[in-house]
Amino acid sequence: MNGKAAKWLARRIGGSLLLAFLVVTIVFFTLHLVPGDPAVLLLSTGGAAPSQEQVMRLRDKLGLDRPLIEQYWTFLSGIVQGDLGKSLQDDYPVASEIALRLPRTLELIFAAVIIGLAVGFPSGVKAAFGHGGWFDRIASGTAALLMAIPVFVVGTLLVLAFAVQLRWMPAGGFTPFSQDPVKHLTLLTLPALAIAKGLAATVFRMTKASVLDVMTRDHVRTARAKGLTPRRITMRHVVRNALSPVVTVVGLQIGTLLGGTVLVEYVFNWPGLSSPLIKAVEGRDYPMVAGIVLTISGLFLLINLIMDLLYAVLDPRVRP
Amino acid sequence: MNRKLVMPGLWIGTILVVAVAAPVLGLPDPVKQDIARRLAGPMLGSPLGRDEFGRDVLSRLIWGARTSLAVAFASAFIAAAVGTALGMIGAWKRGWVEWMTVRSMDVVLCFPPILLALLVVTLLGPGAGTLILVLSILYIPGFVRVAYGEVLSMRANDYVEAVRALGAPTSRILLRTVLPNIAGPLLVQVSLCVAAAIVLESGLSFLGLGVVPPSPSWGLMIRGARTTMAQAPWLLLWPCGALTLTILGMNLFCDRLRDVVDPRTTSVRSRPRLIDRLVPGLLPGHDPARDAVLAVDGLTVGIATPRGVVKPVEGVGFHVREGETLAIVGESGSGKSLTATAILGLLPPVAQAIEGTARFAGRDLLSLDEEARRRLRGGELAMVFQDPMSSLNPVYRVGDQLVEAIRAHGSVSPEQARARALELFRKVGIADPDRRLDAFPHEMSGGMRQRVMIAMAIANNPRVLIADEPTTALDVTVQAQILTLLKDLQTDNGMALVFITHSLSVVAEIADRVCVMYAGQVVEDGPVGAVFHQPRHPYTRALLAATPEGDELPTGIGGVVPLPQEFPTGCRFAERCGFAIDTCRAAPVALREVDEGRRARCIRSDEMARLPEAVA
Repeated sequence: MNGKAAKWLARRIGGSLLLAFLVVTIVFFTLHLVPGDPAVLLLSTGGAAPSQEQVMRLRDKLGLDRPLIEQYWTFLSGIVQGDLGKSLQDDYPVASEIALRLPRTLELIFAAVIIGLAVGFPSGVKAAFGHGGWFDRIASGTAALLMAIPVFVVGTLLVLAFAVQLRWMPAGGFTPFSQDPVKHLTLLTLPALAIAKGLAATVFRMTKASVLDVMTRDHVRTARAKGLTPRRITMRHVVRNALSPVVTVVGLQIGTLLGGTVLVEYVFNWPGLSSPLIKAVEGRDYPMVAGIVLTISGLFLLINLIMDLLYAVLDPRVRP
Repeated sequence: MNRKLVMPGLWIGTILVVAVAAPVLGLPDPVKQDIARRLAGPMLGSPLGRDEFGRDVLSRLIWGARTSLAVAFASAFIAAAVGTALGMIGAWKRGWVEWMTVRSMDVVLCFPPILLALLVVTLLGPGAGTLILVLSILYIPGFVRVAYGEVLSMRANDYVEAVRALGAPTSRILLRTVLPNIAGPLLVQVSLCVAAAIVLESGLSFLGLGVVPPSPSWGLMIRGARTTMAQAPWLLLWPCGALTLTILGMNLFCDRLRDVVDPRTTSVRSRPRLIDRLVPGLLPGHDPARDAVLAVDGLTVGIATPRGVVKPVEGVGFHVREGETLAIVGESGSGKSLTATAILGLLPPVAQAIEGTARFAGRDLLSLDEEARRRLRGGELAMVFQDPMSSLNPVYRVGDQLVEAIRAHGSVSPEQARARALELFRKVGIADPDRRLDAFPHEMSGGMRQRVMIAMAIANNPRVLIADEPTTALDVTVQAQILTLLKDLQTDNGMALVFITHSLSVVAEIADRVCVMYAGQVVEDGPVGAVFHQPRHPYTRALLAATPEGDELPTGIGGVVPLPQEFPTGCRFAERCGFAIDTCRAAPVALREVDEGRRARCIRSDEMARLPEAVA
């Protein structure tokens, strides 16, 4: 890597870090921007006013009595050291809870991305080359349907079909890979499929549009004028060039994908970040919610950064 | 309303009307429980049965639509109002205002939407009000971006400048002039947001963090039905179906609306209708074409359109001998490029060569199968295109693209191919060829790129090289270099060169013979000297007069080339011709031999010969 490239890379990473800092700041100030006393707010579940004593205890626990800037600094320095505070419900460190569950969420996301790409990309290429044919029609119709069914509906219907009606696999749950690899992967299949549906449909659509567009470009005519075989033209001069917009679209889909993961984990009882998150939102456990939101948003920024770098690998014109 | 929008419009409209009319439909109370009839099947008064609390499912479905749609539309409209205002102000004021209103919004996009929503729900508690607030915040940046982008591109428009110059106050300009013009894209954004909001609302309600029970909502219905999935699976299907159909309708509506509002995204490619290829014409018997390496005869290109087949190229014939340069000249729209691409079988999918022959080395290129044609292309028959930037693949190094051309024709090892590529780069005059082989197209100048294209074309010593306006996209000084290069290469290799151009000065410099095309037909051909000295067709004469020569000012040709669907029956140039008489317009004019090796398509060509010389 030369100096120019290193500088460019540093700037990209710097930009992502700046965004991460903004995210942290927003999460911190959201608690304080809400009108009224945050402690009262967090304690008022079900409409009943909290007792003065409860409010005092929570204010003390969250350090709400200290100056705002000092609280902000504590929050920031805590994050840098990997300390996300303690859960209001059971005093358990938020970071430890996340460390336990994050790998399981990551595994699900990883499996879903692989499935989404493996299904969406080849079918998009095939549909573009047989534009208007039977495969294109069926696949486009399926993609439109998949985009319309919300992710938790897909998950629930998968449970209904495969677990309740056909009884082919369990309705959900989790077994560590080290304990029973086959069971682990069986349990992974349905949730990963459910999360992958939106990505597969979007990648399909974008790939098809992109391939159709590249096929009409001048450089493809040049490739034909060179007398290359149709196969080589397809693989090297059409599909390869069609990749960049697909990467962009995958990047844009990641936010939806991460949100879908929260819902799907709930549907399938997958013990990732989703269940403590939902429990924490129900119990107004702000430190826990903030910690998980920060983790997933950080993941979001990281994946987007990777997509940006991948884009530069694919298209030499955007390289430094 | 646009016809495309009718179907999805009715679909969404029906759902909306039913939801709005819920209170007057005489439905049972959606929250009234009746434990005795828990999970009851369809019955009188409850056509869809009862849920796990014995509540009427149809009633809950319709009232649930009301909740979902109310939340979705409310948040989309709030976001639209706030976002549009911010975006318009940001684009108008620029500076720090722009930063505050536009750039700062981007931070919302750093969160996955559902997580930002959960963060706010933690503080405010679940409920429809919280949902509307959260969804509005989530969708504001989208509207800011749309409004900002549209206003920026509009500011430059003359009519906005005109209103501004008249001294209208900013707020008035924005509301009266700008807003109506960006209404289309904003409407698309609103419908996108409504669809997304329905999905998010139902998802949060499904988690029990959206609409608060017992209010009916589709998400809550799915949540409830999940618990009784084994006993009553149909309870799951109703809300799932309703949700999916609504979103499907909304998505369809968005797609169509986008097509209507922004015609740029509409697909313009019409599917090619199968035109039966006619039996190729009889063998051309022209003597002059006998020793030709490439002889085209009666070539017609057809494009199927909804109003019938148009023929942008009709009955074109020419030939070129070994070592000879033939220039095909004409204005844009005369069919020169289509002719060339038809010969190589590189026509765009909508166009087809429907008649004629193109004999190359004893074979008719137009009736060859694609595989045989592929073997010839880039081998014995090569082509250079007009725009070297778009004609090279941007993602590969130029050397690799050249090596690919070499290796496509014959088994050559990568090392040999690289050596050959190096040799070719030297031959086309690329300085520092070893380093240049590893460059990407965007790292080279236009002239260099065209040299790469030429190197690729001559890589396998073609017998015929077709160059389609190879210098048009280049600077004048570079043009001359490329011309010299092509001429030198031709002398070295003895190949035939077909040079397509619209510039007569280029013709004079490079060609032996010239073929003048107008509106899809050959109107005159012959040796360059004779044709330029004494043109036999008024069009050639007009072209020559339009070419700057010494101190004389060129005379332009009035009018434009007619479009293929508007070609007249008679002489196609008659409308722009100073010599036209009534007979010209009556019937098609034939291309006939007017002199030794010269043809012209004009009934007055003999009179043309007696006119004073066109070029000094």
